[in-house]
Amino acid sequence: MGLVPEEAKGLPPPGIVNRNSVWLGLLGWANAVLHNSVNRRPALKAGVHRQVLSITIGWFIGYHLTKYEKYKYAKLDRDMSEYIRHHPNEFQQKERKTFAEIVEPFHAIR
Amino acid sequence: MPLGRLLLRTSTVNKIVSRNAFRATKPDVSKPNMLRVGLAFGSTVFLWALLFKQHSTDVQEYKRRNGLE
Repeated sequence: MGLVPEEAKGLPPPGIVNRNSVWLGLLGWANAVLHNSVNRRPALKAGVHRQVLSITIGWFIGYHLTKYEKYKYAKLDRDMSEYIRHHPNEFQQKERKTFAEIVEPFHAIR
Repeated sequence: MPLGRLLLRTSTVNKIVSRNAFRATKPDVSKPNMLRVGLAFGSTVFLWALLFKQHSTDVQEYKRRNGLE
């Protein structure tokens, strides 16, 4: 794979329908529709083959982009967990006092 | 409001429909260039097939690596 290395194949792959695919597909469709409009053709009804092709290209790029994004976030999470595991002295639980222990006894002055 | 009507305004951006100087005929909208249409639909089908194949390969590889099958 060009974008992601071998170890990324152990991650769950994104679904066919994913956020980046839908958005880029929508952008591709908007691109085709605007292209029609600027060339003085009926915006939605002309060049359906172009609209379908640009939706597909956007969807395809979105799928691979999602895969890359998942790999990047997984790598960050793994690095963070490993750092926390190797440096426990920096991540100790602080002693917490309840309010009952801190607050002074209340003596009403009336 | 139909989306087509909203997009009518963008056709005022460009009032000159230009074409390649080396082309002999004006682009005729009533006769679609079937080769180009065929290529567009063909590459669409090809890309979808590629996407589905890649997805199923990924799912299989994931299951194989994590011992889920």
